[in-house]
Amino acid sequence: MDHFPTHWGRPRNELDDQYNTFPLHQRPANHTDTFANGVQRTQQPIVTGTSVLAIQYKDGIMMAADNLASYGSLARFKDITRLHAVGTSTVIGASGDMSDFQHIQRVLDDIVTDEFTAGDGNSLGPAEIHEFLARRMYARRSKMNPLWNSLLVGGFQNGKRFLAFVDLLGTTYSAPSLATGYGAHIALPLLRQSIDPNPDAVTEEAAREILRNCMRVLYYRDARSLDKYQIATVTEAGVTISDTQKLDTTWDFAENIRGYGAQTQ
Amino acid sequence: MPDGSYERPQQRQFNPYSENGGTILAIAGADFSVIAGDTRQSEGYSIQTRYAPKVFRLTERAVLAVNGFAADGNMFVKKVKQRLEWYRHAHAKDMPLRAIARLIQTMLYAQRFFPYYVYNILGGIEEDGTGAVYSFDPVGSYEREACRAAGAAQSLVQPFLDNQIYFKNQTPAPGTNHPTHLPLPDVLSIVIDSFTSATERHIEVGDGLEIYVVLAKGRSTQELASIGGLQELSTRAEGDRMFVIRRDLKKD
Amino acid sequence: MSIMQYNGGSVIAMVGKDCVAIASDLRLGNQSLGISSNFEKIFAMTERTYVGLPGLATDVTTLHEQLRYRLNMYTIKEERTMEPETFIHLVSSTLYEKRWGPYFIEPVLAGMQKTPSGAFRPFVASTDLIGCINFAKDFVVAGTASEKLFGVAEGLWEPDLEPEDLFETISQTLLNAVDRDAYSGWGAVVHVITKDKVVKRTLKGRMD
Repeated sequence: MDHFPTHWGRPRNELDDQYNTFPLHQRPANHTDTFANGVQRTQQPIVTGTSVLAIQYKDGIMMAADNLASYGSLARFKDITRLHAVGTSTVIGASGDMSDFQHIQRVLDDIVTDEFTAGDGNSLGPAEIHEFLARRMYARRSKMNPLWNSLLVGGFQNGKRFLAFVDLLGTTYSAPSLATGYGAHIALPLLRQSIDPNPDAVTEEAAREILRNCMRVLYYRDARSLDKYQIATVTEAGVTISDTQKLDTTWDFAENIRGYGAQTQ
Repeated sequence: MPDGSYERPQQRQFNPYSENGGTILAIAGADFSVIAGDTRQSEGYSIQTRYAPKVFRLTERAVLAVNGFAADGNMFVKKVKQRLEWYRHAHAKDMPLRAIARLIQTMLYAQRFFPYYVYNILGGIEEDGTGAVYSFDPVGSYEREACRAAGAAQSLVQPFLDNQIYFKNQTPAPGTNHPTHLPLPDVLSIVIDSFTSATERHIEVGDGLEIYVVLAKGRSTQELASIGGLQELSTRAEGDRMFVIRRDLKKD
Repeated sequence: MSIMQYNGGSVIAMVGKDCVAIASDLRLGNQSLGISSNFEKIFAMTERTYVGLPGLATDVTTLHEQLRYRLNMYTIKEERTMEPETFIHLVSSTLYEKRWGPYFIEPVLAGMQKTPSGAFRPFVASTDLIGCINFAKDFVVAGTASEKLFGVAEGLWEPDLEPEDLFETISQTLLNAVDRDAYSGWGAVVHVITKDKVVKRTLKGRMD
C-alpha cells in the first residue's frame, strides 16, 4: 500500500501516461523492485573438488577424496579436506563447488547442534542426513538455484552400513561401491570388480588398499587431482578421518613417451 | 575474442532435468494386475546403480510405477504417498484406485509449467474387483487401459504387447473370439519375455526385474505357487493380496 | 527431422530352417502426408538374393539401378551369378564410395548362399548408410520402424522356423511394428526364399 496520498491517482506506468504529463521516474518509490536488476542465480562452479570414492566393506564403509580445490585448471588450494563428519555415525564427501560444500557443512553442523541441544537422546544417522541432503538439493534445483555438488553419504547405524549418492539435481541412489566425477568413469569399474560380488568379504586392510590403488589410478589420469588424499571410515566404533596421506607414484616410464619428456629427435 | 575478453557474458543455463533410463510396464487381468519395472538407473552411458526400484506399493491394492527423471520420480511418489496417508487419516480407509488415478492427474497438472519429467503407470484392483491399469503423461493426461509400456524401451515393448495382449493383426479361428483378458501365468510370461527382449536390444534396460502382482479378494494364489523369487507383501490373507517377484536380468 | 525419415518405410529380414524371409511395408510418404501405398522397396537381385532399400525414395531408385548395373557387370565378367555374401560387400563398397555424401539408404539383404558342397544356407545381413556391414545370425531390421521391429522380433523370433512358420513370424513382426510407426505401414509385402522357390505374398495391413 502506498502511504503517500500525493502519489494516489497517478499513472502507474508510462503506458497510462503516453505524453509524459507526470514524470514517472521522479516519483519516489516506497518499495524495492525485486526484479529491477533481474535475479542472479547459480551459475557455474568456481572452486571445485574432483572425484570422491566410497565402498562398503566388512565392518562399515570407507570413503576417499584428495586434498585439492581447483580454480579452473589452477591447483588453487592443496590442503582442503573434502570429507566431513556429521554427528557420530556419518561422513559426507563432496565434489563440485567448494563454497557450496562449505555452506552444506554449516547447515549440517547447525542441525547436529540443534539435535544435540534438544537433548532427547535421538541423533541423526546417515539415512536421515542423506534424506535431508536429497530434499535440500532437490529443493534448490527446483528453485533453479542449485548447490553445485555431487555428494556421497556414508555411515553405520543400528548395525547396518549405509552408502548413498546425491547430486545437484536431487538424483539419489545407493550401491555397494560409489564414485563421483571422473571416479565414476575411471575408478568405479575397479571398485565394482573387487567390492560388489561380496562386500562382506573385504577386510579393512583390503578396503584401504583398494581405495589407495584407485586414488593412484585417478591421480595418473585426472588432471584436476592431487597425490595427497584422506580416507574416512565409519564403523560400529564411529567416524575416523585419517590424516593426509601421500600416494607413491612412478613416472620413470614418462621419458619413453614421445612428447612427454625431452626428446632428442 | 582474440584479446581474451568475451564479446558478451558467457551464459551457461542450468538444466534442472536429467533422464535416468529404464522401462516400466503394466498389464491388467480380469481380477488381477501386474506392474513391472527394471532396476537399472543410468545417466548417459554410465550405470549409476544396478538396484533402484521404480515400482512402489501405494496401498493394499494399488501400485505405482514411475519412469523418467529419477529425482522427480522419487519426489512424486513421496508426495502421492503423503496424500494417501492424509486420506487414510481423514476417511479411515484406503483411497480407491480410480480416485488415486484422478489424484495423480491433478498433482501432475499442478506442475504444468515446471513439470515432473516422469511417465507414470498405476496398476491395481478397482473397487468392483477388476484389474486395472492407468497410464499418464508427464502433465497428467491419463486413461484406463488393459496394458501399457513406458520408458526407454517403450517403442520396443509396446508393439509386442499390442500383438500378444490385444491380439492385434491376429484373426481368431472361425466361430471363436480372442479372450479379453489373459490368465495370470500367460501375462507373467509375456512380461518376462518383454523385459528380456528389451534388455537384449536396449542399453538402458537390465540388471534386475521387479514384478508386482495384485490379486483381487478371494482369488486363488495357486498360479503363483511355482514362481521363483516370489515374496508376499500383503499382511492379511482375506483382502486383496500383493506379491512381488524379483528376477535377474542381464547386467551388460 | 532427418532426411532418413523424409519418405518413411521399413524392412526386416529373418533366418529360418533352410529358408530366409524378407519383408517391407508399402508406404511412400512426404513427411506425414501419405503419397503411395504400393511403393515396393524390396528388389530381386539374383534368383536367390533379395535386397530391401528403406530410406530416401529418390535414392532407393538410384541405388537399386547402381547395384543392378554393378551386379550385371560382375555376371558378364565372371560368367556366374553373385552369391549374397559377395553382394553385401558390393553394397558396402558402393555405399562407402559416397562416404562424404551418402545415399540415405540402409540396405537389408536376404538370400540363400551356395556352400562348397553345392547346398544352400540362409544368409541375412544389413548395412548402415555408409556401408558398415552387420552379419546377423537371426534377423536384421532397418527403416523408420527399426526400434519397434527390434522389440517385436526379439520377442517372436526363434531358431529353425520352417518356411510357413517363418512367414507368420516375419509378417506378425512387421505388421505390429509398423502399426506403431506413423511413417511406415499402408500394406506390406513378404518374400519367403527357399533353395528352389521364392514365395511372394502381399499382406493387407491397417491403412491409417
